[in-house]
Amino acid sequence: MAVTITMKKICFLIISLFICSALFAQEYRLSGKVFGPLGRPVRDVELSLMGLSQSVKSGFDGSFSFKLTRRGDHYLLASAAGFALYNQKVSLRQDSVFVIVRLNTALHQLEDVNIVENRALKRQQEESMNVETVKRDFILRNLGGSLMKSLERLPGIKTIGIGSGQSKPLIRGMGFNRVVVTDKGMKHEGQQWGADHGLEIDQFSTAEVEVIKGAASFVYGSDAIAGVIDVKSPLPPAINSLGGAIDFIGKTNNGWYGTSLNLNGRKKYWFFDSRITYQNYGDYKVPADSVYIYDYAVALNKGHLRNTAGRETDLHFSTGYTKGAFRSVLYFSNVHQKSGFFANAHGLEPRRVDAGLHDASSRDILMPKQEVNHFKLINRTVFEFNGHRLKFDLGYQHNFRQEHSNYVNHGYMPPIYPADRKEPSDLEREFDKRVYAANLSDQLQLGKHELNFGLNSEYQNNQINGWSFLVPAFRQFTAGLFVYDKYKLNNNLFVHGALRYDFGNVHLDHYQDWFLSPVGSGNPQVYQHLTRAADLKRTFNSLVYSLGINFNKDQFELKWNMGKSFRMPIPKELGANGVNYHYFSYEKGNPNLSPELSYQADLGLSWKAEKWSVAFSPFYNYFPNYIYLNPTADHDYDYGAGNQIFQYAQSRVMRYGAELQLKLKLLKNLSTEALAEYLYAKQLSGDKKGYVLPFSPPPSLLLNLTYSADLSKALTNAYFSVDYRITAKQHRIVPPEKKTEGYGIFNIQAGTKINVNGMPVSVNLQAQNLLNTKYLNHTSFYRLIELPEAGRNLILSISIPFKINKNQIH
Amino acid sequence: MKKKYIIPGILIAGYFLSGCKKDSAEVDTSYPEIDITAASAFPKQCGSIRRGEKFIFRASFHDNVELGSSSIDIHHNFDHHTHSTEVSNCNMEPVKKPVNPFLLIKTFPIAAGQKSFTINEELVVPADADPGDYHFMIRLTDKAGWQTIKGISIKLL
Repeated sequence: MAVTITMKKICFLIISLFICSALFAQEYRLSGKVFGPLGRPVRDVELSLMGLSQSVKSGFDGSFSFKLTRRGDHYLLASAAGFALYNQKVSLRQDSVFVIVRLNTALHQLEDVNIVENRALKRQQEESMNVETVKRDFILRNLGGSLMKSLERLPGIKTIGIGSGQSKPLIRGMGFNRVVVTDKGMKHEGQQWGADHGLEIDQFSTAEVEVIKGAASFVYGSDAIAGVIDVKSPLPPAINSLGGAIDFIGKTNNGWYGTSLNLNGRKKYWFFDSRITYQNYGDYKVPADSVYIYDYAVALNKGHLRNTAGRETDLHFSTGYTKGAFRSVLYFSNVHQKSGFFANAHGLEPRRVDAGLHDASSRDILMPKQEVNHFKLINRTVFEFNGHRLKFDLGYQHNFRQEHSNYVNHGYMPPIYPADRKEPSDLEREFDKRVYAANLSDQLQLGKHELNFGLNSEYQNNQINGWSFLVPAFRQFTAGLFVYDKYKLNNNLFVHGALRYDFGNVHLDHYQDWFLSPVGSGNPQVYQHLTRAADLKRTFNSLVYSLGINFNKDQFELKWNMGKSFRMPIPKELGANGVNYHYFSYEKGNPNLSPELSYQADLGLSWKAEKWSVAFSPFYNYFPNYIYLNPTADHDYDYGAGNQIFQYAQSRVMRYGAELQLKLKLLKNLSTEALAEYLYAKQLSGDKKGYVLPFSPPPSLLLNLTYSADLSKALTNAYFSVDYRITAKQHRIVPPEKKTEGYGIFNIQAGTKINVNGMPVSVNLQAQNLLNTKYLNHTSFYRLIELPEAGRNLILSISIPFKINKNQIH
Repeated sequence: MKKKYIIPGILIAGYFLSGCKKDSAEVDTSYPEIDITAASAFPKQCGSIRRGEKFIFRASFHDNVELGSSSIDIHHNFDHHTHSTEVSNCNMEPVKKPVNPFLLIKTFPIAAGQKSFTINEELVVPADADPGDYHFMIRLTDKAGWQTIKGISIKLL
């Protein structure tokens, strides 16, 4: 029945699209916006098209527009006092094209601006969802231990920290499998469900990150229930160029050093981009002499958290061909991470750690530790013809994760690890996941409609190994069919509508214990190899939709979006059956879970004046069947080795919240900013009725004061910026969380671009947690053992671009 | 043009209204308590148990709302690991390899509706179990799912 309605809806949508497209009117438009080197709009810039008599000036918000009578190639010129002369080839292949003009200071420096890909501003202005785009400059200025940590300055974005080098994204308080991370257009697939599993992404290879706050299942399929973090790869380099950059990074807190070397080049049609990254860090320091793990005091050696050192080695190579309307790129990357777990608290069980062994060196990685290798091979092909933009992506990923820990006989495991077992005695867990994906989509301009439709498909094969069991091996196939229409009602108003159908099939494998457990209380006692997971096949169907508007008028902007999203239950939720010694919990899956549904309404209001701007984005979210891990009052004897039973369950959940951003330019070079966020969540039914959801970030406010100026011809884009982040207490908790008190911390960022032989060398310095404040982060993996966050950390990063030959665009 | 303000207006109004509303039902955020301070409580930190003899496990449990269930786990500590929540360290024998270590995992449900409960369970350690350092872990939950763990270091004599 559901399927019939679906087909009707799709037909209705398609028919209405064709009717609307009959109102098509012929006119070509070249419009855009002009920005200065610091990303601010520039007004009164003279823009002209070579060979045509038209010329216009950019408005107060940097925008401009030309009306043209023919398609084809045009040369856009931009000039203004104090800025380098700008020229760019613009290919007008559709009815309208939007160009971003980035002016540089008078020092001659050309940047290849690619119109096809560079859509950040266009998206911001036409999108009905909450999209935030950050560039490489932002990442360099706020560089943290991992990409997600660097993004944490954005309102509504938090992380679940796992030591210093890894973290997981939280968008508006939701993470794990409720946030989709895409890299080069492909969904990044690792073992997202684990709180101690970081994201295998090299932040140096990131050119731009787009963060969508809000449900986006209609584009990205299952999992994009809270939002999307879209990591974009760099644009193809300029024609006839060969160059790159070398980055250095150093951090005082944990003796972190790293470097990343990039080399890229292009003849006319062929190009390549390559990168090698290496990072090495020691145990990180907290402002405390001892920490308390289940009330047991663990003395720290000079504040060092034993065995939290790590290494990361990443390789990237991409090559592609781009000619006119065709582009095909092949990306290869391999990210390898190895890091220790805090030795005193692996499994939250403070084993009698050989402190002497660990304290001998703060840089070695001993047991317990994790090692992950993530391999990717992706091909993206884009082809444009007759108003179509056809995209075809093919991808292969291999995520191989091992967690090493000396054998410990938990529960009924034998006291000594049997010598005849194939798995090594120090292999606690292993996950070996292979993912094959293919996506096809077409973007079509039909009069005032911009129609997107396509197909996503993915196959996952996940094998397991090791002496401990938590989640069974599985195979999974998912496919989705979507249609998305953006209808331009007039220059100020865009209406969005989307519809998506998904199909999913998951097959969990049978698993039996390798050791004997006593069964029942007979005499003599019966011992058995317990069956942890039965063979399980589940099939899911889902239909989701979304509707939105974007209204833009002068300084005012309104975005509104509402829709339904969904998430397929993951194998852990369906088939977990084992003790998680991180929490002394016996986690039990529920094979009968239904797909999680979410209804969400988002609003974005902003007003941008010349000297100030304000943006407010509230949201409301309702889940009729949120999947959560429920700590019950019972202990399990048979399977759970006497541990508390945590069972997956579903309940109704309501959430709302908002982010507020205020920016004010005080003086020519001085500006101030306030970013606030608030989130409220409540379970409306089930065992935890009245409780909040786990990992709910407390309200926080970030106050900033920034001085920025071009100091001289040699020192441009200089800035000095102070952040004060005030985080409120979080007393709304759910078992097994602990109440967390509020705190305030200072961060300082300063930097400049130094022009060396015409190349802007970027130098950025940060002082994180300037006052060495001792505080607990409510969303940290180590929060339950009262582990304070990292102490003062000075971070220096230097990025030196180089060109081996001059680029010749003229 | 006014129309476009209606939906956001409702949303914002809803947001502020619900934000000001007090939580109607207070939820339980207190952990249950395991009390082994009474003179009759057994075992106690650094205490000892004779193999082959019966002993009574006695502790009192309390919760502000309602107790859930309890569980004990007695396992060897010949490798000197620790999850003791008691402050004092006991004199430990040297590290040794287990041969026939004693292992007991047992759960004890608590009848519904109780805020306080004193557990009295007769247990016995087989005479042929390895003697030495052991951990006696007590786990206690309340109805809401909060769990308190107490680890006691004992010796089997």
